[in-house]
Amino acid sequence: MEPIRTDFAGYEGMYVAIDHRTGKIVMADEDHHRLADRMKAEQVTHAAIRRVPRVGEPQYVGLG
Amino acid sequence: MADDSGLRWLYPYLEDADSTRLGLPVFRPYVPISIVGAAGSSVIYDGLIDTGSDAILASALVADYIGLDLEDHDGETTHAVAGAIMTARYKTVSLRLHRPDSDPDTFEEWEAPIGFISGWQNPSLILLGSVGFLDRWTVTVSRFSLAVAIEGVDALDRRFSLVLPRE
Repeated sequence: MEPIRTDFAGYEGMYVAIDHRTGKIVMADEDHHRLADRMKAEQVTHAAIRRVPRVGEPQYVGLG
Repeated sequence: MADDSGLRWLYPYLEDADSTRLGLPVFRPYVPISIVGAAGSSVIYDGLIDTGSDAILASALVADYIGLDLEDHDGETTHAVAGAIMTARYKTVSLRLHRPDSDPDTFEEWEAPIGFISGWQNPSLILLGSVGFLDRWTVTVSRFSLAVAIEGVDALDRRFSLVLPRE
């Protein structure tokens, strides 16, 4: 199955809403609540939130 | 519990922002999840499937946004998450697993305990572990196929003709 690719460049340290149909970031904000409010107000429903690590943050390879 | 034994949803792996390991992209098994609270349903999050976690863990930001009072929790404990010691405050809430195209109106809903953690830094704001998720669905994670399959809770038993003891 083809994975969904996303270009995160320029969104470091932000919360982003990613459209799963295209992989594109459709909305971003430094504040989680503001992003969620904007998604609801603009009826962005086919996207999901993730946080983009800041430059230099260690990479997660396991969570335990 | 609704009869979801015939449910078969297939999700592609998603690229993560940690795409610098040896110069190769990192793909992880995410599924679209939302949580219901006093202020209604949250927006949808990419929930990371974590077979090594015993619980569902989430950022306290999610709880705050949907109006959950974490002072009125069902219990709290400390966890080691990504090398840090964090306190999780548990509440039993309704979760929604959305269809692969993230259609907000098509979902499966169930209740499960979630440990909410302040100061959460993981790229995924929701980690989907054993109690409340992996015991609710049959989850097949294939890095080879770059896909996640979600099926009814007894799919593995039916696939391998198992009759497993239940707690």
